[in-house]
Amino acid sequence: MTIEYSAVPRIAPPTARLAGKGVPGGLRLRQLRPVILPLATAALMLLVWQITVGALRIPTVILPPPSEIGHELWRALPTLLYHAVPTTLDSLTAFFAASGLGVGLAVAITYSPFLRDMLYPNLVLFQLIPKVALAPLFVVWLGIGSESRVAFAAFVSFFPVVISAAVGFANAETSALRLCRSLTASEWQSFAMVRFPFALPAIFSGMKIAMTMAVIGVIIGEFISAQAGLGFYILYVSSRMETALIFAALLVLCVIGMALFGAVALAEQLVRRS
Amino acid sequence: MPVAGHERYIEVTEVSKVYRNGPVEGIEAVSSLSFTLPRGQFVAVLGPSGCGKSTLLMMLGGLEAVTDGQIVVGGEPMTGPRTSIGIMFQDPTLLPWKSALDNVLFPIRVLKQPLDAYRSRARLLLERVGLDGFMHKKPHELSGGMRQRVAICRTLVYDPELLLMDEPFSALDAITRDEMNELLLDLWQQYTKTALFVTHSIREAVFLADRVLVMTRRPATIVEDLTIPFARPRPAGLGESREFNEICGHLRGRIEQVHRRWNEVRAETRAGHTELVG
Repeated sequence: MTIEYSAVPRIAPPTARLAGKGVPGGLRLRQLRPVILPLATAALMLLVWQITVGALRIPTVILPPPSEIGHELWRALPTLLYHAVPTTLDSLTAFFAASGLGVGLAVAITYSPFLRDMLYPNLVLFQLIPKVALAPLFVVWLGIGSESRVAFAAFVSFFPVVISAAVGFANAETSALRLCRSLTASEWQSFAMVRFPFALPAIFSGMKIAMTMAVIGVIIGEFISAQAGLGFYILYVSSRMETALIFAALLVLCVIGMALFGAVALAEQLVRRS
Repeated sequence: MPVAGHERYIEVTEVSKVYRNGPVEGIEAVSSLSFTLPRGQFVAVLGPSGCGKSTLLMMLGGLEAVTDGQIVVGGEPMTGPRTSIGIMFQDPTLLPWKSALDNVLFPIRVLKQPLDAYRSRARLLLERVGLDGFMHKKPHELSGGMRQRVAICRTLVYDPELLLMDEPFSALDAITRDEMNELLLDLWQQYTKTALFVTHSIREAVFLADRVLVMTRRPATIVEDLTIPFARPRPAGLGESREFNEICGHLRGRIEQVHRRWNEVRAETRAGHTELVG
């Protein structure tokens, strides 16, 4: 079946398209391929994992089979959800702080050549520092409360927003800005009516990266200092050699990450439609 | 050449423009250019690309400053953009996230006028240019000609006295372009404004304008000022008449003559082309 598909050229000649209409089932399968193929691949890998662990008698502590992880996930779900709450809230707070700070800095860089020359090279240079290494500093400065984790996560995630927003503001169509000028628009009007909407796709792509980075930042923060949160929970269960629970926590983290990323993507859709 | 009409609505006096920070240092885009225009005339500025005609238009619109000389529009020297001047650019410059109707209303939003008062006018304009069924379509759903029609409506919606058009149809195919020219004449007759239309098409200039100013490259100045005798409204088949083609031939000859002279001079001496046409 797959061989047959790859043999069909991307742009099918009219006759082939007509022939395709004769077999609606074939067409539908092809349309669903982007959904079915990755799911089937994941399912296959889980199956291989399950069989391999059983066949090679790998101890559960080293690598639990997917069925065991599923079982543990179900059993510990209330605890996992309890720990998911602070992680999610801290990630969201850090994300909003990073987005605000990032867009604000990008505006400053766009409108002040002085600030741009002053900040931009340093920002890019700063980007090169492995920022994870700075996490303990935040504990020194802000203590072991959630403030230090939020601040660290915001610090880790605001760079992509600044860079992509600055690029987006700079790339607004010059002809559209010239139109504003010919209509005697104020600088603020040009920004609000043209520059900002033009930059929205770039800002959102920066914000999507920031959202995933914020979760990473919070988890690292929780590794270092926390009494709750999924990062803390992973460290805790790993010290007790409960490997299946590590995987279960990872799964919950995955779902949270996807949900948060999806929320940003959804917000983008809503904003761009209006 | 005597000026038709009595009132000097636009006065361009000895205007020069030198780009100092351009890609090439000290390029003279326009050199000591002078002409006057009465109110209500449709004037075409005709010249090859790179002769500085767009620069002239941008200076008239207040988007570029003059290096030397003065431009007076409606008795006031130009110091910056004005709301009494509407500019149509080479590309339609529509905002991709706004519908055709909202794009037409964009100037009203910028000028902080009541939107409701202008909405019916915007609709009327869009109907005039044959876009009744496309008011709520986004620019990417429209053809190139339709987009430029939306841009015309956007320029007319706030009723500027002076229309400046910078080769607005140059990106369109020949057939659409002819249609747009007829449409433009139609609209112009209805809303009679002073109009300055920049083009590199001789036929387009003769078809549209009351008067054609011919600009050449080096020197970037006006070498001919020709009044077009055809009465209005002009029929679409005007381009086939003998007189029309004679005028076009004359203008083509004039442009070639100036360029030939310049090339000869350049062949003889490397400098000194300025004194020849001075």
